[in-house]
Amino acid sequence: MNAILLGILALPILAAAALWAVPVAIADRLAALYGSVVSGVVLIGSLLLWPRGAWASYTTLQDRPLRAVTDVPWIPSLDVRFHVAVDSISMPLIVLTALLVFLCCLYSVRITPRIGRTRSLIALLLVIEAGVIGTFSAMDLVLFFVCFEIVLIPMWLVIDIWGDDHDPAGRRRAATTFVLMTVLGSALMLLGFLLVHRKAGTFDIVQLTNSPVLGGHGVALAAAILIAVGMAVKVPLWPLHIWLPDAHAKAPTVGSVLLAGVLLKLGTYGLIRILVPVLPDATVTIAPYLAGFSTVAIIAGSLACLAQTDVKRLIAYSSVGHMGFIGLGIATLSPAGLRGALFANIAHGIITGLLFFLAGAIKDRHDTSDLREIGRALYARLPRIAALLTFASLASLGLPGLAGFWGEMLVLLGAYNPADALPRATYLVFMVLAGLGTVLTAAYFLRLVRNLCQGDPADHLPAAFAVDLSRIELATWAPLIALTVLLGVWPGLLLHQWGNL
Amino acid sequence: MTLTWTDWQAIAVPLVLAVGAVVVLLVDGFWKSGSRELRHAVVTLLTSAAILFGLVFVWAQRGGFKPAFCRPAVEGPAECSLVFEPLTAGLWAVLLIGGLGVVGLSAYRLLAADVPIGEYHFLLLSALVGATVLAGARDLATMVIGLEVVSLPSFAMVALRRDRRGSEGALKAFLVSVLSTAVMLFGISYLYGVTGSLYLSTIANRLPGIDPDLRRVAFAAGLFVIVGFAFKIAAVPFHAWLPDTYVGAPVEVTAFLAVVSKSAGVAGLLVLVTAGVAADGSELRTVVAVLAAVTMTVGNLAALRQQEAVRLLAWSSIGQVGFLLAPLAVGDAQAVVGYLAAYVVVTLGAFGSVAVVQRHRPAGLLTDYRGMVRSEPGLAAALIFFLVVLAGLPPGLAGLFTKFAAFQAVIDAHLGWLAIVMAVNVMIGLAVYLRWVAELFRLPADDPFSVDIESPAVAMISLCAATAAVLSVLPSTMFALAT
Repeated sequence: MNAILLGILALPILAAAALWAVPVAIADRLAALYGSVVSGVVLIGSLLLWPRGAWASYTTLQDRPLRAVTDVPWIPSLDVRFHVAVDSISMPLIVLTALLVFLCCLYSVRITPRIGRTRSLIALLLVIEAGVIGTFSAMDLVLFFVCFEIVLIPMWLVIDIWGDDHDPAGRRRAATTFVLMTVLGSALMLLGFLLVHRKAGTFDIVQLTNSPVLGGHGVALAAAILIAVGMAVKVPLWPLHIWLPDAHAKAPTVGSVLLAGVLLKLGTYGLIRILVPVLPDATVTIAPYLAGFSTVAIIAGSLACLAQTDVKRLIAYSSVGHMGFIGLGIATLSPAGLRGALFANIAHGIITGLLFFLAGAIKDRHDTSDLREIGRALYARLPRIAALLTFASLASLGLPGLAGFWGEMLVLLGAYNPADALPRATYLVFMVLAGLGTVLTAAYFLRLVRNLCQGDPADHLPAAFAVDLSRIELATWAPLIALTVLLGVWPGLLLHQWGNL
Repeated sequence: MTLTWTDWQAIAVPLVLAVGAVVVLLVDGFWKSGSRELRHAVVTLLTSAAILFGLVFVWAQRGGFKPAFCRPAVEGPAECSLVFEPLTAGLWAVLLIGGLGVVGLSAYRLLAADVPIGEYHFLLLSALVGATVLAGARDLATMVIGLEVVSLPSFAMVALRRDRRGSEGALKAFLVSVLSTAVMLFGISYLYGVTGSLYLSTIANRLPGIDPDLRRVAFAAGLFVIVGFAFKIAAVPFHAWLPDTYVGAPVEVTAFLAVVSKSAGVAGLLVLVTAGVAADGSELRTVVAVLAAVTMTVGNLAALRQQEAVRLLAWSSIGQVGFLLAPLAVGDAQAVVGYLAAYVVVTLGAFGSVAVVQRHRPAGLLTDYRGMVRSEPGLAAALIFFLVVLAGLPPGLAGLFTKFAAFQAVIDAHLGWLAIVMAVNVMIGLAVYLRWVAELFRLPADDPFSVDIESPAVAMISLCAATAAVLSVLPSTMFALAT
């Protein structure tokens, strides 16, 4: 078991190194195929890690045992261990990561950014994959931090090199803002980890979960605030989200997909994995503020969406809103809220990944992502892509029966009945506001569909080169579409695993 | 003062380095029959042999304790002027590795220039003598002598280029150094007046018990000594001489200044702080902490605006010194030595890479590096790795963990404000190095840098990169240096 986990951590890194060793001329042609094979193997490996018997059983797991444990000393003088393992919280996220990276590589077999340099792009995607899986499986705070940071420079390069080729200055600014804000956040998070270490004398997440740092003030509170701020930059939580719209809008399609689908999850995962169990009392102290900012994020993100004229920026801002729901779910500290947050995490990864793929496809076909220049009547011009966009929008706005619904419903349920230590009245207000946010979400997605897909085809002549859904796009998106439906009609597939949060 | 006993092993390394310096000078001066290349090779080998002896000695004796020039004290244990102990071993290892790296760097550049080889290596070894003495010194007089022996050869080395910029740089460094020595001697005289001793251990013993009226004098005296060191390591606001001197000197001399000279200053300051002149909880430590915060912030902010590679490295080395001062301010020798080790290795590598490019493109602008990831993939990969280690991000785990240790030291000493300043500086520092990394990645480039790199340079840079990679995978080796 642990060999599989170590394998899927090491394989992408080694594969990336091997890819860089191959001469450019050959590697550029074969990189995407090679990347698909490697990430496909990683995907299979991650599925093998999934607990057998948990696939279809609705039995509630009494405890969440760690599996695939590797625990060896790394830097004894700093008290750092190489401790990795998976449990039911990290497992779905690891599979999601492996799936999205695999789909991105597959997509790149046919469709790559205009700038070329596919070899480096694929290699960087693989490095990102290793970093993210490492973060999701790290059971040592320092190892978590290291893996958290591994992702930064590759993602910076992806945005800086392969980003929007109409706007070199803009994409550089976006990339730099992204990397600098995240690095500041993670440095603050590290301070929080060190404060935890000062109090508890260990970096080991398992030990810290079993004997948490108690007390809701003083050092524990400072640590909780620092960790929460660090994670909030990554999530991103309003008002720390300012790096997000530019980064998503300027990144290439695969970059946007991984940013939204995977990287944002690092923050929420960190909150659930570290903040809530390790600093329980201090988390109760800051939870109402966290919930408040999350609620503001829901409303502000949705309002910002209503004003967007760029399809990629619109989807980026919609992520702010959705991540606000997840933040609110975590801040309720109730089983329903946490489960909702975890579920919404996965659902958002799948649906927003699909949305960014679609936005990228539309952008590639029109050479712009500006709604006004794209024009209307996509139903007539690109019927299949337009239909899929409508589907993904409906899923994202939380239509019952699709994956987006359950997470947000559980979050609202959690906010209706938060943990006992929290002020219920405040959370009721948040719940009402968040409910209002869902209405706004519906409004801007319907506006997007109306502005983009509907309209009289006579006014908007189809461009000559516009090909509807290509085969590679269908192959890439089909798993995401299937999962959206599957998780929509069968949420228990995931939910029962988190039975006793 | 009567010397009573000396363990000669404690001064074996400085002695061998000094003898090596003289031998090198004589060989170059009197052996005229050999060709220039041959002499250069022999001189390089002799210098390397002297330094390697030091490294082997340090490795073999790393756990030992060997005092030299000791005498019985009136109170407490014996007073010694020079001590070889685990901390000394760690500092010597860093200094000697730095020296060896500079010798390696010089091996592939100097042949073309009209620099006298014998004198150059003589000065280098002399400076190393001073640096090792300084790191082992346990009394203030020995410290000042050690510091002077490091500094004086440095000016001569800066001036080796014999043009306007070289002379200007050397003169600036010289004037500042004289001033700092004067300031330091002033502080030492007061410290002696207050405590009646030059030995660090005795000063540390007597400081807590001195007359309350003299407390302020003792503080001012300690402050002057620290300011003297601050000039030497170019801590802000005593840094103004550094950028011009770095740019004026030949690249390998700049590497020497950034690696050996700077490490020696930090080593001296570390000895001073840990030996008890600035005891735990004293205001002097707060002064060092403030110095750290200001130094890293100003250094990094200024580095953000530089367009030349060497100037960027010069300013960012000021930022790095700020990070070194942070664990120093709380007396965490392990973190300081670990940080120095990583800093020395990657700075050597970075200057080595710059030397290769600068030789063919004398302007030394950051834009000269554009597109190198395609035209010179090996050199570009190594340079990116060095820069990322300096920034402290993966894959440069050596830099990440040394910064981590610095954070840990500061947090454990309850200096929250300094930790926050450091966190902000991690961000600014990253912005500094990313500008350069971005140039390397930028494609397509009009005129990408591509040459046949000399094999000594390839060997040197690969060695630095390999060392940095090993330190990244096994960071505990860095922290084991000083324990």
